[in-house]
Amino acid sequence: MRVRLFLALSGILFVAASAFAHHSFGAEYDSAKPISLTGVVTKIDWSNPHVYIYIDVKGADGQLVSWALEGHPPNTLRRTGWTKAALKENDTITVTGWMSKDGSNRIAGREVTLPDGKKLFLGPPAQ
Amino acid sequence: MKIALLFVAVAVPVCTFAQDKAPAVKNASSGKIRRDAEGRPDLSGIWQGIGVSLFGETGEVRPGEGRASTWGPPPGPPPYQDWALAKVKELASDDRKDPTVQCKMAGTPRVTGIPVPLEIAQTAKKTYILYETNHIFRIIPTDGRPHPEELDPTYMGDSIGHWDGDTFVVDVTGFNDKTWLPGAGHFHSEDLHVVERYTLQPNDTILYEATMEDPKVFTKPWQYRLILRHPPRDERIMEAECQENNQDLQHIVPGTSEYHP
Repeated sequence: MRVRLFLALSGILFVAASAFAHHSFGAEYDSAKPISLTGVVTKIDWSNPHVYIYIDVKGADGQLVSWALEGHPPNTLRRTGWTKAALKENDTITVTGWMSKDGSNRIAGREVTLPDGKKLFLGPPAQ
Repeated sequence: MKIALLFVAVAVPVCTFAQDKAPAVKNASSGKIRRDAEGRPDLSGIWQGIGVSLFGETGEVRPGEGRASTWGPPPGPPPYQDWALAKVKELASDDRKDPTVQCKMAGTPRVTGIPVPLEIAQTAKKTYILYETNHIFRIIPTDGRPHPEELDPTYMGDSIGHWDGDTFVVDVTGFNDKTWLPGAGHFHSEDLHVVERYTLQPNDTILYEATMEDPKVFTKPWQYRLILRHPPRDERIMEAECQENNQDLQHIVPGTSEYHP
């Protein structure tokens, strides 16, 4: 019985858990378009329901392009090791995540690497 | 399935069951559970069903990791009447229609599965549930009073509680039809009636079960079950405002959400 229950649950739990949240990943972001960027922090919006971090990234042509990183809400980030003091404007950071479906310069943030090399969770992996 | 959870806030239907009879709960009556001054199981404390702060980085429940968020028999889809299925699918295809994406209160019982903590404060004649999400609160009288005779429709419904042995039973009625049940697109009518059962276990978890009846949309009752645990650290309910910077509504691409019944 225990084995049967496990098998029955295992096929369903992750699907169900992955499909719904504040919004589903797929409603805004493209899991087929991972991206990594290094840039300078221009603004930190420690806001609900999602934190936004804005960075300027120098393109191949030397022009600066602004990107917005969407992350988990402040409470969740606090519980995964963030403090508001962890990041400040003008810090150079590297971020990983996935690009938006609507073509805007927005990223579903996965992880931020701080200037001192420390890595912090910003959002879950695309599945 | 290339969809992943992003961000906290909405009920995750990790546990949805369709069946007629609830499994028997082994009431923890051995005396090894915490009890209040009146001898009732003491549900007071910080609890959480799923979420980042409960299970590590993502908080997602993965098969085989030995930390199930569910109990009881396997889940099944909600028993919607035929006419309602098309509406469910249509609602589920567009995240902008999710009331919680619009920052509305999650409703009962969906609120229990939102992946942030809640706090139960049990007193002699009332039990309070304080949810971090949207700062929702419920006041549950346990002094034997009935529901008010005339109820205005509300998001969370009107709750009254009593003890069935060692199980705290909450009867909830007086809902509006603006919330969803656990899951995507799972709408209901104002005739929704919910009975919640909270059973404290000797291992200091709560087996939570909500039975939902809605004769206007369901063919039979539907059940939702979670295991509520204490978060691993000394948690506090934190401030959580939803409306402040909700950019999702303008960035969601409709028709790209997948529906999983």
